[in-house]
Parts: sequence; C-alpha cells; structure tokens
Amino acid sequence: MTAVELKDARLSFAGVVRSEWIKLRSLRSTFWCYLIVVLLMIGLAALVASALPTDAGAGGAAGPRGAAALPTKPDATWLLVSTVGVTFAQLVIAVLGALVVTGEYGTGMIRSTFAAVPTRLPALAAKALVFGVVTFVVTFASLVVGALLAAPILDGRGTHPDLGDSSVWLALVGAAGYLTLLGILAMAIGLLIRSTAGAIATALGLVLVAPIIFSLVASLTQADWPRNVGAFLPSGAGGRMYAFEPTGGVSHGILTLDGWQGLLVLAGWCVVAAIAGGILVKRRDA
Amino acid sequence: MIEAVGLTKRYGNKTAVDDISFEVKPGLVTGFLGPNGAGKSTTMRLIVGLDRPTSGSVTVNGSRYAELKAPLREVGVLLDAKAVHTGRTAENHLLALAATHGIRRKRVDEVIALTGLESVARRRVGGFSLGMGQRLGIAAALLGDPSILILDEPVNGLDPEGVIWVRELTRHLASQGRTIFLSSHLMTEMAQTADHIIVLGRGRVIADAPVATIEAMATGTAVHVRTPDSDRFAASLTKAGGTVTHPEPELLEVTGLAAPQIGELAAQERVVLHELSPVGGSLEDAYLALTQDEVEYHAGGEAGR
Repeated sequence: MTAVELKDARLSFAGVVRSEWIKLRSLRSTFWCYLIVVLLMIGLAALVASALPTDAGAGGAAGPRGAAALPTKPDATWLLVSTVGVTFAQLVIAVLGALVVTGEYGTGMIRSTFAAVPTRLPALAAKALVFGVVTFVVTFASLVVGALLAAPILDGRGTHPDLGDSSVWLALVGAAGYLTLLGILAMAIGLLIRSTAGAIATALGLVLVAPIIFSLVASLTQADWPRNVGAFLPSGAGGRMYAFEPTGGVSHGILTLDGWQGLLVLAGWCVVAAIAGGILVKRRDA
Repeated sequence: MIEAVGLTKRYGNKTAVDDISFEVKPGLVTGFLGPNGAGKSTTMRLIVGLDRPTSGSVTVNGSRYAELKAPLREVGVLLDAKAVHTGRTAENHLLALAATHGIRRKRVDEVIALTGLESVARRRVGGFSLGMGQRLGIAAALLGDPSILILDEPVNGLDPEGVIWVRELTRHLASQGRTIFLSSHLMTEMAQTADHIIVLGRGRVIADAPVATIEAMATGTAVHVRTPDSDRFAASLTKAGGTVTHPEPELLEVTGLAAPQIGELAAQERVVLHELSPVGGSLEDAYLALTQDEVEYHAGGEAGR
C-alpha cells in the first residue's frame, strides 16, 4: 500500500508551522493582499514626498498655508511621509488576518486542520507565528524601501532627513510591529466570529469606526475621557508605536502613551482576544 | 479498533447521537448504515474529536483521538469532501496536511497517483467535481497510511468505476488487518462491501451484526419448504409460531421461523423434506424493515395526513 517509509512520521510543532507556511503561501488572497500592502506603502511614501511643498518642513518656518500642520524637524517629516501608507495598509492587513482564519471555517478546511492537529491550539499558534513573521517582514521591507525612496526626494525639496537617525528606523520597526499585531488581533477576532464578513466588519470597525466615534463624542461633549479612551484603542495605541520620538504623559487631563506603552496596550488587546478565541476553539465543535 | 461507550451528543435539545456503544474491529469492513439524519456523521466527527461528546467516550486503538502522537498515522478520515480550502490546489492541500506530521512529498505523490488525481493535482479545488473532491478526501485520509480508516459516504458522487475502486480499496485495506469504518445510506453498496454492519436510526444503534445476520433480519424473509407431507407440516409450523402460506401443492412458504428451526422441527416430526431454502431477505429489505420507524424525514409525510 505504501512504498514510502512513514514510521518516523509524527505530529510536531515544527511540522505544523511548515504546514501553515504552505497554507499561507498557496492562496492567491495572500499574494494579492501583500502586493497591495507593498505597493501602497512604497508608492504613497514616494508620492507624498514629491507632493510636499518645497521647504515645508525645513526648519519650522510655516509655509503660506496648511503647512503649519507639518512637523518642525526634518526627520519627523521624513517619518510621517514614510508611514503614510500604514493608514491604508492596516485595513488590508486586518482583512487578511481575519481571512487567514475565517477562510478555513468558511470552506470547512478547519476540520482537516483539526483532524491533523487534534489539540487545536498548536495549529492556531503556528498560524499566528507564520502570519506574524511574514507580515512583519513584508511591511518592514516596504517601509524601509518607502523611507529610502522618500529621503532623496525630500532632500531635493529642501527637507534634509538624517539617514542615520535611529529614532526614525525604530519607529519604522514600530510601524511594522503595529501592522503585525493588528493582523494577529484580526486573526483572533476571526476565531471568535468565524464568519468572514462578520470578522472583517468587526476588525475594520475597531480600527476605523471606533476612533471616529470617540473623537466625535469628545468634540460634542468637550469631555476628556472619550479622547483618553481612544488612546487605548488598537489604532490609537498602535499609532504611538510609529510616532516620532513618542513621549508619554498627562497634560490638561489628556493622556498620551509613549511608544512602549502603545505596544503594551496593543499587545494586551491581542492577548485578551487570543485567549478568548483559544478557549472558544477548544470548547466549540469544529 | 474503534470503541464507543455510551456515546451521546446533543445539540441544544436535539439528540443527534443517543447513548450508543459499539466496536469496530480490525480486519473487517464495517458498514455504518442509516437514513439521513440518523447521526452517522456526528458519530464519525465524535470519533476524531471534531465534536465533543455530551457524555460517554470513544477511543481509537485504545486512546482518545486527541491524545494520539501521530493522528494521521493511526486514523485516516474522510468526513466530507468539502473539508478543503477551495482556493488551494489539491497538491498544496495534501502537502500542507502531510507537513504537520513530517510526511514527505513522495508520499503525497503516491496518494495522488493512488486516487487517480495526477491530472488535476495542480488545479484549485474550487473547480473540482463532487467525485474529484471525494478522491481528494480519500487521498488525504490515506496520507499517513493509517491503521484505521473512517470514510463518511465515500462513494457519494463517484461514478460507477469510482464506486468499484472504493469497494476494492477498502476490501484490500481490510485484508491487511486495518479497521475500516464506512458510512452510507445505500444498503446495496454496503451489501457488496461490508463484512459487518451497524445500523443507526435516530441516534441509536438498532442493529450491530454481520451482514448475513442483518439480511436474515428482514421481516418477511421467507423460507421455502418442499415436502410431500405439506398439510401436516404446515399445521406443526403454525403451532411453532410460523406463518405459512401454500403457494403450490407441495410447497410451503414460511415466515417467522428461520431455516434451522424449520429443519429441526421437521426432524422431530419425522417429515421428509425435499427442499429447505431461505428466499429473498435482501439487505435492502432488512434495512427498510429496521429503519421504517426510525426515518427522520418521511417523504410526503405532510401530504399524507
């Protein structure tokens, strides 16, 4: 019945990771989503850099109009330009993260997965690991390419970035980390909700709609608390991970997280959602 | 070997599997027969731990499925052909499953060849016909060369050639001492494939016996008795609890008594027999008789009222 030696074949975490890697790379949706992310992040960085008014961020001098919103330090401008694409990429990554899980539920693949890995959680951990590493590598590479493209363009327009500024590079790591954790949060939401439409709606709602609601309430009530709650939303906390020299603190009742606190808060979201998802997966019938 | 003890599964207040106990033995093809909705698929999902029993337990080779060190090596399972991501190619699907257990590519190629999927292996599963999907599901079940094979409706959607292929494959695997557990709602298919049959109706085991015994259970199974002494013997048979008709002068058709009982009675009564032969008794009759009260959804049930 078999000519191939199978005696040493057994379930291992390394094998499950390899399996999840095969699964991730063998779907077209993966390829398209990452391609969009790469193009968006690199393209927007270059585009925004070339669209910037000359001398806009050169030394704090406000331009004729609108330029007042731009940061005063050239490196801050450079970082801002390099991470413009994150706003869009986060939507794609959230969708892909949800799909990685709900695609299996929707098609019934999850039953094959759990029949092969009956303890279930290792399969999910491997999935998160593979998706997390790939997302981090892809987004970080795009951010770096975008930053390297934007720097000479800015330089030619009177804003002189310092390529050796480690705080900018650290912030780019933070941006890739934000996108990665957001993707993992979307995966966990996928585990909780299981339907593709529901999971995507929830993940995007959390990223897009929730901050708008809180800032709306803040401007309507003139209260501080909605703004402070907003700081703890995934996008609010995550945004601090790639802010320029993010310092935290409380001033006039408004709370600001520093970069590491932002990371902790976002990681907290992931951990809570992943634990809830893991418990449900263990309990529910597949 | 599969052993279920007091296995029960309720979804809400609907009982899908109701306190069933059975054994599926190695070296045999065991058929799992029952009308739609009888709980066959649920039972199979319970065996491989996809559903959690409400009470009771089921083991494979003595362990719970989730405790196996190499589940694919011990149990191969085809639950339904749709347990595959439609966007992936058949080959990648099998490679991904194989990778979990460190099963090499060579074995993946082998099961692809064995199930006749070579020409479509690099096509995405979304475009597969039902039959090809079944073959892929069977290929996945065979990946780990398992000692137990659980196939839920394996011939569903297969062409006649495929049906014969599944029959021969399962018979062959059983002859190697493996445990084969097949479900079907087609009794004719089971009659040709299975050695042993477990009949499920409304979540309960209503029969668990070798095929021959199940066939003999057919109510209305008659025994033809040819004897020159037909009138006298008809009276004795009736007294012994049989129902006797008299289609020809020397021929009796007896129901309610099995052939061995009739033979013994003839010896006691010193009646000469020219023929003693069970007739009819197809598995189909037996199955219909067994399940007539257990069918979940009767065709035209509403209209008939």
